[in-house]
Amino acid sequence: MSESVKLDRDEVLKIARLARLELDDAEVALFQDRLGRVLEYVRELNQVKTEKGASVKHVPRDAVSIREDRAIEFVDREALLSNAPAQIEDHFLVPTVIEQS
Amino acid sequence: MSLRDKYEAVIGLEVHAQLLTESKMFCGCKNAYGAPPNSQICPVCTGQPGTLPVINQFAVELGVRAALAIKAEIHQESIFARKNYFYPDLPKGYQISQYERPFCTQGKITIGLSDGSEKEIGITRIHFEEDAGKNIHKGDHTQVDLNRAGVPLIEIVSEPDMRTAEEAGQYLRTLRTLLRYANVTDGDMEKGNFRCDANISIRPRGQKEFGTKVELKNINSFKFVEKAVDYEIDRQIRATETGEAIVQQTRGWNSAKNVSEVMREKEDAHDYRYFAEPDLPPLVLSDKWIDEIKSELPELPDQKKARFESEYGLSGYDAGVLTASRDLANYYEGVAGASKDAKTSANWVMNELLGRLNAAGKDIVETPVSAKNLADLISKVQSGAISGKIAKTVFEEMFATSKTAESIIEAQGLKQISDPSALEPVVRKVMEANPGQVAGYKAGKVKLLGFFVGQVMKETKGQANPGLVNDIVKKLLDS
Repeated sequence: MSESVKLDRDEVLKIARLARLELDDAEVALFQDRLGRVLEYVRELNQVKTEKGASVKHVPRDAVSIREDRAIEFVDREALLSNAPAQIEDHFLVPTVIEQS
Repeated sequence: MSLRDKYEAVIGLEVHAQLLTESKMFCGCKNAYGAPPNSQICPVCTGQPGTLPVINQFAVELGVRAALAIKAEIHQESIFARKNYFYPDLPKGYQISQYERPFCTQGKITIGLSDGSEKEIGITRIHFEEDAGKNIHKGDHTQVDLNRAGVPLIEIVSEPDMRTAEEAGQYLRTLRTLLRYANVTDGDMEKGNFRCDANISIRPRGQKEFGTKVELKNINSFKFVEKAVDYEIDRQIRATETGEAIVQQTRGWNSAKNVSEVMREKEDAHDYRYFAEPDLPPLVLSDKWIDEIKSELPELPDQKKARFESEYGLSGYDAGVLTASRDLANYYEGVAGASKDAKTSANWVMNELLGRLNAAGKDIVETPVSAKNLADLISKVQSGAISGKIAKTVFEEMFATSKTAESIIEAQGLKQISDPSALEPVVRKVMEANPGQVAGYKAGKVKLLGFFVGQVMKETKGQANPGLVNDIVKKLLDS
C-alpha cells in the first residue's frame, strides 16, 4: 500500500463548490480522506505500462457516431418531465437561480 | 492630445452561431425556434442516464462551410471535449464542446471601414458545441425549457486584431453576412441565434504587452455593438487615468441604461475541467468530403461583388451595396434579368426601393414591389409608354399598394402621350397664350424653347413624351 494522500480543506471546499454541494466540517474531514483515496487509486493506475496498448480515451473510431440530419419526435415528453422532482407549466421547476445580469 | 490618442484598445470577439439544421447536434429532436416549452426534448438532450450522443452529419457540413468561407485550415481529425459546470439549463452537467483540438483554425476575413480602407482580421478557431436550454426566472422560482438544449452551434473566436469599436462592428457584420451567404446560420441576433461576447483591454499606445482584459457579454443586437465596445474602452481609460486598476472580470451590456455592469460571476466559472468526450470517437473529415462541400459552397459575397462588377458593369460601390445580403443580390438579379438594363435596375433598386424600405423599417424580403413588377416598370420607361417622371409616381403607388405598374397606369390614365396629333393642339394653345415669349423666341432668345416645353408638360400633367414635345415646339416656333 502506498503512502496515504490527504487533500487539504480548501481543496475539498473548492471541489464541493464546483459540485454545488454544501459540506459541514465533519463532511469536509471525511472527503479529505475519501478524495485522497481516489487520488491514490489513480496513482496506482499510473504505474501500469500502457505505451504499447491502444488509446482508450475514446470509443473506437469505427463506432457509429454520425447520423443523417433528420428530426425524429420523441413522443413521451411527460416521462421526461416526470423524471424531474418538480414541474410547472410544462417546465422543469428548479430553485431560484440568481441570474447574472 | 485626447485620451483616446494616448491609449489603444485591443478587441477580440467570440461569436456563437446556431446552425441551420433540421435536428439537434447529438439527437433527433427538432432544431426550431419558438415551439411550446419542452416540446422538442428527448432522453439524450435532457441528459437521461444511459443515453449516447450521435453526431449530426449536416451540422458538421455547415461547420466546414463556415471554415471554407473564412479561408481557414480544416483539421482531418478533431476531438470533442466535455466542459463541466452545473447550471439548471445544462441537464448533463457538462456541455459537449471542442477544446484542445478544434476542427478549424487560422481563418481570416477582410472588413471594410468608413474611411474606405480595408483590414484583415484573423480568426483563431472555430469549434462545434451544443447550446444550453433556457432558464426562465419568475420571482420565487426558476423554470427550465430544454428545447434549445443540444441545438448545434459553432463558436468563432477572433484574434485580438481589432482596435476600434467600428472595427468590431464591421467584423461582426461581415462575419454574419458571410455565414448567411453560406447558409450556415440565419444570424438572427434578436432570437439569440447569433450571439457575441467581446474581450476588451487597453494599453498605452506603443506598448507591446496587452492590458488586463474584460469580457463584455450580452451584446445581442447590431444596434449596440459599437456603443457597448466604445463605452467599455472609455470606462477603462477613465479608470486607468484616475489610478484605478483594471480588474479582470465579466461585464454585461445593459442596453436600457447604456452602460456595462459587473456580472455576478458564476463561482469558479473557468474551472471547467475539460476532458476528451469518452462517448464520441474523434471527428474525422476526409479530404474527399471537404472537397465535395467546397464544390457545393454557394457564391460568397466577394465573388458575387466581383461578378456584379464584371457581368453588369456596376461600380465597386454599387456592387457592394447590392451584395450586402444574398436576398438583396437575388432581388437585383431578378430585376436586371427581366428588364435587361443592369445599370438602370441598379439605380431603381438603390435609389428608390432601398430608401423606401429603410424608411418603412422593412427588409428586402418584405418588399411590396416584386422584382418582376419593378422590371416591368423599368421596361415601360424604356419603351416610352410612360415618362421617367411619371414612373416615380407610379413606383410610389406600387410601393404603397403592391399593384403592378400596368394596373396603376391604366387606372390613373398615366400613359405617355406620344401621338403628335394629340400634342400639336396643346402646343398651339400654349403659344397663343404666350405671345410675348413667342416674339422673344423669334427675335433670337432660343432658350425660351425650354419654357414652352415646360408649359406643355404642365398642361398634360407630365404625360407628354418630352422628346416629342421638344420637336413639335421647335417645328411650330420655327415655321
